[in-house]
Amino acid sequence: MTEPILSVRGLHVMFNLRGRKLHAIRGVDLDVMKGESLAIVGESGSGKSVFVKTFMGLLDANGWIDGGEIVYNGEKLTDYKTEKQWLKIRGGEIAMVLQDPMTSLNPLKTIGAQIIEAIELHRPLRGRESYGEMISLLKDVGIPEPERRAKQYPHEFSGGMRQRVVIAIAVACRPKVLICDEPTTALDVTIQAQILKLIRSLKEKYDLTTIYITHDLGVVANVADRIAVMYAGDIVEIGACDEVFYDPKHPYTWALLSSLPQLGEKGEDLYSIKGTPPNLFADVRGDAFAPRNPQALKIDFVKQPPYFQVSPTHRAKTWLLDPRAPKIEPPESVKRLASEGVSGFGE
Amino acid sequence: MVKYVLKRLASSVVTLAIVITIVFVLLRQMPIEGYFDNFEKLNEAQINAKLANLGLTQPIPVQLKNFFANLLRGDLGTSSRYSAGTSIASIIAQKAPLSACMGLMSMAISLAMGIPLGAAMARSKSGFWDKFGTVFIVFINAVPAAVYYIFIQMYGTSWMGISMLFDRNNYVTWILPVFSMSLGSTASYAMWIRRYMLDEMNKDYVRLARAKGVSSQQIMMRHVFRNAFVPMIQYIPASILYTISGSIYIESLYSVPGMGGLLVDVIGRQDNPMVQALVMIYSAIGIIGLLLGDLLMGVTDPRISFVKKEGAR
Repeated sequence: MTEPILSVRGLHVMFNLRGRKLHAIRGVDLDVMKGESLAIVGESGSGKSVFVKTFMGLLDANGWIDGGEIVYNGEKLTDYKTEKQWLKIRGGEIAMVLQDPMTSLNPLKTIGAQIIEAIELHRPLRGRESYGEMISLLKDVGIPEPERRAKQYPHEFSGGMRQRVVIAIAVACRPKVLICDEPTTALDVTIQAQILKLIRSLKEKYDLTTIYITHDLGVVANVADRIAVMYAGDIVEIGACDEVFYDPKHPYTWALLSSLPQLGEKGEDLYSIKGTPPNLFADVRGDAFAPRNPQALKIDFVKQPPYFQVSPTHRAKTWLLDPRAPKIEPPESVKRLASEGVSGFGE
Repeated sequence: MVKYVLKRLASSVVTLAIVITIVFVLLRQMPIEGYFDNFEKLNEAQINAKLANLGLTQPIPVQLKNFFANLLRGDLGTSSRYSAGTSIASIIAQKAPLSACMGLMSMAISLAMGIPLGAAMARSKSGFWDKFGTVFIVFINAVPAAVYYIFIQMYGTSWMGISMLFDRNNYVTWILPVFSMSLGSTASYAMWIRRYMLDEMNKDYVRLARAKGVSSQQIMMRHVFRNAFVPMIQYIPASILYTISGSIYIESLYSVPGMGGLLVDVIGRQDNPMVQALVMIYSAIGIIGLLLGDLLMGVTDPRISFVKKEGAR
């Protein structure tokens, strides 16, 4: 975990929705380190998926990068103009596992054909060799009887098995970065752990850098080295897993952690964050979370906080870290998490 | 698979038998004048003699039984007024091939024009081809066919110097009727393939294919187009079979001696045996077309299975 494999500086993404401009990503800085496992968390609409799509040039047609740069292994991806340039990156360098395995495979092609398609796109294997590679990939992702299963169609697979196939397709071209966009959201709880375990073992085997996108903090606790908390198109706090869980600094991170059902008191209502995320069609002033934060400072409504460094690996965008700020304690439940940890968390 | 086909065939035969019976019984309720050319001049004895001769004095169930018995021997009966005394099979054998030939040619043209048009429309959504195609489709569907058929005939014959009348041995005279006939289905093929392709393009597997590095060109060819074509395959056998019924309007416009309008003609002349035979043939075509469509769909779409599986997934 020494040098960044992917670094993003001041990234802005806009969307044009029926003539109105939506500012989906608002100046994000992020370094993804080689070999690490990074989790990006945040509620729906915070821009997590859009953010990682920019790494592969997969924004929808009505979206565009409006400033900032993305550098992958020395290549400036934000300069890419043609599809041809992107084709090398997609699948070959950076691969993606989508959320819903029930719909992310072509229903009319056999599993084998879909994996072979990916193999032959980026590697010089053909015919017999790519067939052999496909079978060994199926074995790698834990599909029994690969020769028989390869001839079957997606509808003959269960959800968990399909997700394994999607993962096999993702690693088929030996990418260096694997983006998992809510890889377990659509699966049964019992299958989730297996899939996460599989991704972790493939990460070791193929020396992958993994980026998880999720809103499930349970998943995060299991797999992540580092956590980036995203809110309204910006990363408000980022740090090592322990730092973010046990010493969170941003009020939004507090709120997010407090809404973990495991932290609630028996018999009391579960905590939920009041209000809704800001309207990204309009300019956001100050700290985007301020309107939903009962303890917001006056300055939070006026000026956007910069990053304050908490430790070499931990920084957060909140005025609370300014030396002049009043001392505001995190909520009880978050402090309890820090002192006791949480039982029944993760596996 | 074989079991499924046999089952479907058996139920098709039953359906057809029901259709025939209903039409047969209804036709027996028609006035008997239809069986005679000179009804007013005949006396009662002559009328009864002729009816008895035609087998019409027997009770209806017996007549029906005889009809089915003849049918099984391949005998469709003889025309009574349209072309008195000629066997219906020979009338059809003379007319159907021409209609079918024209229909197949126009269908081939519609597929060859409509599908690329629809695919181009889907690819350039709200671009040039999409707008062009939309104008074409709206025009074809909104303007009564008779209007542009006549325009094509008027301008086509005068500009290209082609004869207005169809002559089966002069190939140039085939062009205009076949082209006119193809326009309607061109529009509908284009419309459907565009719609199915747009449906497919928004699916997750297309996003996954993009993410694994397939170029947009290949996504269109290998994934989107192929998958979009499957729902259309179902209708193709029926369309092929229906070509033998011909197009009333075009055949009369160019005086093509085909099947078009034959049914209307024989109904007008009260030629009951022919009405019966034609209705039976057309419903058989419909039933067989649907059956073939379903089978073809099952062959192309692996999700459709003809055998009941226990405990799937």
